[in-house]
Amino acid sequence: MDSNLSSNIPVPIFELKNVNKQFGSFQSLININLQIQAGDRVALVGSSGAGKSTLINLLNGTLQPSEGEVWVLGRNLASLRPKSLRQVQQQIGTIYQQFHLVDNLRVIHNINAGHLGRWSFLKAAVSLIFPRDVETAARALKQVGMLEKLYQRTDRLSGGQQQRVAIARVLVQNPIAILADEPISSLDSERSREIIQLLRQLSQDSGKTLVTSLHAFEYAHTYYQRIIGLRQGRILFDAPAEAVSPAMVEALYRLKD
Amino acid sequence: MSIDPKQPSLLNWRTLWGLLFVAAVIWSLHLAGLFERDQVNVGGWTLVVRFLLAAFSPELSSEFLHLTLEATLQTLTYAVCGTFFSVLLGLVGGVLSSEVWWLSKGFQAYWLAVRAFLAIPRAIHELIWGLFLINIFGLDPLVAVLAIAIPFGAITAKVFAEILDETPRTSLLALLNSGVSPLNAFAYSLIPQAFPNLLSYTFYRFECSIRSAAVLGIIGAGGLGYQILLSLQSLRYEQMWTFLIALVLLSGATDFWSAMLRRQLGATSRLDLNVLNLSQRQKPLDQDHRLVSLSLFGVIVLLIFSFWYVKADFTKLWTPRTAQLLAGLIQDSFPPDISQLSQVLTLAAQTLAMSLLAITIAGIGGILLSFPAANNFLLPGGILDPGRNSHLGTAVLVFTRFFLLFTRAVPEPIWALIFLFVFFPGILPGAIALGIHNLGILGRLMAEVTENLDQRAARSLKALGATGSQVFLYGVLPCTLPRFVAYILYRWEVCIRATLIVGFVGAGGLGRLLTEQLSSFDYRGVIATLICFICLTFLVDLISATVRRTLR
Ligand SMILES: Nc1ncnc2c1ncn2[C@@H]1O[C@H](COP(=O)(O)OP(=O)(O)O)[C@@H](O)[C@H]1O
Ligand SMILES: [Mg+2]
Repeated sequence: MDSNLSSNIPVPIFELKNVNKQFGSFQSLININLQIQAGDRVALVGSSGAGKSTLINLLNGTLQPSEGEVWVLGRNLASLRPKSLRQVQQQIGTIYQQFHLVDNLRVIHNINAGHLGRWSFLKAAVSLIFPRDVETAARALKQVGMLEKLYQRTDRLSGGQQQRVAIARVLVQNPIAILADEPISSLDSERSREIIQLLRQLSQDSGKTLVTSLHAFEYAHTYYQRIIGLRQGRILFDAPAEAVSPAMVEALYRLKD
Repeated sequence: MSIDPKQPSLLNWRTLWGLLFVAAVIWSLHLAGLFERDQVNVGGWTLVVRFLLAAFSPELSSEFLHLTLEATLQTLTYAVCGTFFSVLLGLVGGVLSSEVWWLSKGFQAYWLAVRAFLAIPRAIHELIWGLFLINIFGLDPLVAVLAIAIPFGAITAKVFAEILDETPRTSLLALLNSGVSPLNAFAYSLIPQAFPNLLSYTFYRFECSIRSAAVLGIIGAGGLGYQILLSLQSLRYEQMWTFLIALVLLSGATDFWSAMLRRQLGATSRLDLNVLNLSQRQKPLDQDHRLVSLSLFGVIVLLIFSFWYVKADFTKLWTPRTAQLLAGLIQDSFPPDISQLSQVLTLAAQTLAMSLLAITIAGIGGILLSFPAANNFLLPGGILDPGRNSHLGTAVLVFTRFFLLFTRAVPEPIWALIFLFVFFPGILPGAIALGIHNLGILGRLMAEVTENLDQRAARSLKALGATGSQVFLYGVLPCTLPRFVAYILYRWEVCIRATLIVGFVGAGGLGRLLTEQLSSFDYRGVIATLICFICLTFLVDLISATVRRTLR
């Protein structure tokens, strides 16, 4: 694969080949094929239960496909040893609907968790008592507009603030690609717009690939270049944002076939 | 960046208590004589080896197994009857000492008075109650039943009152406002609402009663504890192991049943029950009503059987002779004899040191073992799933759980006797015995906390490439450790009370003095020692509550 990296054909950041994902007898994803290139800004839309979270978790390596292959940064995740898998995962930052931060820790430690893929165990342990790399964390928090909360306990923050902390963590992690799984579904509309804009700006400024799953369609249309419509585990359409017609959207959310 | 928020100082309550704790442990080790005397009796090792070897050849003749079964049933029935009465007392006392009951009657602060009154029976250990009651009733099973029922009744009352006070009051108020009498209003609103928590706590109490019933054996009340003591003292280790295995099975079966039922009821974990964190209710599993109704049926059968089997002479409770003996005993006990006060105070310091060492052993050991004992940790799909060798994870889990079960099933005084093989009498063997027993209790409770942990944060750390040990450090410890510490502090309150019972078998402290005074019928001295001991327990309660409050 090293030869792949050095050749002129760009290696996709993510590539799914004939992927199926089954939970028990339930087919959560069916025959998924897709490629996401460096710098793409992709929205993954579909109603609840369509398989968006499953897809995101396949991309960051926390789930394994039942069939097919998941390639990330030119490497087949199934063939990697734990250590190499962690190295790939270090390059993928994920943001969740329910934030998934460690409630009892101060904001600084939740942000510093973004370093964990690079830090030694000892450094990570010491940092819990004497915080390391405070400058970097402060800069990231300032970028999301919450510098004053650096030493607050995370569970004392509101939902929108916690999502900003999660984004600051990803900034510190400095990955090649950012995955966001319904990052705004737990937030009010004002907060939602801010978070979506923030994500887009971050990916634009640094050229990071951004994959965001969204329950509702409006934001996808305005803020993303490419939209993938997911329905009952299948890709219904995969098109540039301007090519998605109202009829396609209507088909995506229709209740019965 | 000049506008950075200032880093909070490291000088906070947490560091302060941490330093004090280290100082207290050093002081305790000093009192235990660790820095001066030899602690280990080298000659005892041969006995230890014999004792351990006997584990592989427990006595299994049918005659002996019959005796074991009888002893097991005796312990079980003591526990069942004791729990029954303690729940009765707990319900009455709980309602009477709840704030909400007196509010509904229109009075204000009476609940405080009832609660203060209940603190006294609670502070006195079952074993002391047992020794006291033996003087009145003689060697009757009634002693064991009451010795469990009285202190456990008071504890249950306190917990029930707190459960009732924490249960939402809107429906109660609605009934009261429509003119329903307080008792009926309680029966139709608060009690049914609080029922799952009350029931869970009752089962938890039953687990404790089994252990207590075994301990009460050592004052001659019969049952497994008594048989274990006899076989230990007569060096018949093969027989002792048979009894020990029976006790582990009985205790394990009870714990398992209780845990399963509580899960079905969707009730809080043992730990949450103890620190009354009732809001942390788990979602009930897919409710299997058969298990719950089968359990209730089982309880009724067990109750009938126990009252028939225990053969306690309940009529003794209201004979004139009982009243006479009680009056005589009280007369003999007052005024308290304070001539030995300086010795009592020295021993009180030793007792405190013993409890500190014990809780240190139990706390650290419990935390370390709780993780491998949790079913979401090393197993496939767990937080620290090693990925490759899943059998290893299962083996570690089973072994740790068994170890924890064994350590908590063996009563403290038995552990103390075993450690007295190799240690010279003093507070160290007592502390180790208490520590080992409580380690088993704490380890299991803490494993439950880890099992109920919200794993999403940990998984998100895994997703960004953190190693297993880093996930543990950032995603598991910060969530569990504060609750562990709170519970260790609570358990310390239990430990200080239990120092008495290891004192009885020759470990040091106030317990040993109390034994001497009791065997020489020096009741005025007994009262003085007891008062000092109760003050000590209140002091520990106060410290524990203060630390817990400032750490919250
Ligand atoms: N761990 C799991 N076990 C069983 N079923 C699952 C699991 N995760 C997801 N599913 C099922 O897969 C389907 C897709 O889920 P998900 O990817 O979470 O959808 P979305 O994120 O689009 O709402 C759902 O029907 C869900 O019930
Ligand atoms: Mg989802």
